[in-house]
Amino acid sequence: MAEISSMGRQAQAIATSALRAQQARMRVIAENIANANSTSKTAGGDPYRRQIPVFEPAKVDGAQGVRMSKVEPDQKPFKTAYEPGNPSADAQGYVKLPNVDSLVEALDMKEAQRAYEANLNVIETARAMDGRVLDLLKK
Amino acid sequence: MFVMDITDIPLFSMLRGRLGYLSERQKVIAQNVANSDTPGYTPSDLKPYSFEAQMKAQSQSAGMMVTTQPGHMLPPSQRGKSALGSSFKAQRKPDSETTLDGNSVVLEEEMMKMSDARMNFDAAVGFYQKSLNLLRMASRAPGR
Repeated sequence: MAEISSMGRQAQAIATSALRAQQARMRVIAENIANANSTSKTAGGDPYRRQIPVFEPAKVDGAQGVRMSKVEPDQKPFKTAYEPGNPSADAQGYVKLPNVDSLVEALDMKEAQRAYEANLNVIETARAMDGRVLDLLKK
Repeated sequence: MFVMDITDIPLFSMLRGRLGYLSERQKVIAQNVANSDTPGYTPSDLKPYSFEAQMKAQSQSAGMMVTTQPGHMLPPSQRGKSALGSSFKAQRKPDSETTLDGNSVVLEEEMMKMSDARMNFDAAVGFYQKSLNLLRMASRAPGR
């Protein structure tokens, strides 16, 4: 007899790895947005630097899934503002502000959400396909 | 003793091949969707499944040796093909757009492909069901 294995298993494992990766990406985005105004503790020091999640393909259950391989700092220059009264200001009265652009973060968040939904869709379809086959046993 | 397997019926073995192809395709699409944000990733897809090619394989196998007992061995050319979906080859096939980071997965297109695979899968399972009903009808005593 032919061997019977759940066909949707691999597809579901792949989509699950992607859900996890997108979730991790969401965490990084949340961190960026939360720290959009975090200046340095010392006068004239560097403020919060924007973090970028990087994905890479990863083996999952004999197929190619995905995982967040690293979080890299964004090398974009910091913004500056003239605020002599600020405790983080340097000798000239300029404060370095984080290189976080809230519009970019919002777009990134939307993209992560869309990718998350797409992967949920994959799981749902794989389950429905498996269920369809199991229904053969009913009648 | 010759044991009749349901996959010995050409219609069933063809449907089985089709189901194997479609679930393999679903897996490949899942990979593409999972890697929709991986830099430099190119999506892949399976070669379109054609009944002609499948028919050819069927008619060629007519004059070949068949395994009628579990102890029989397959010729090397047929080995590995018996496992479901293992004979389908995925090839790289970029979608219509490529982003700046070299990723060419378009989620919408993948979703389209996925629902296509699902619809075809449902159709094939429906066929399978109907064919089973045919067999069942044939094996029932008349008038019952």
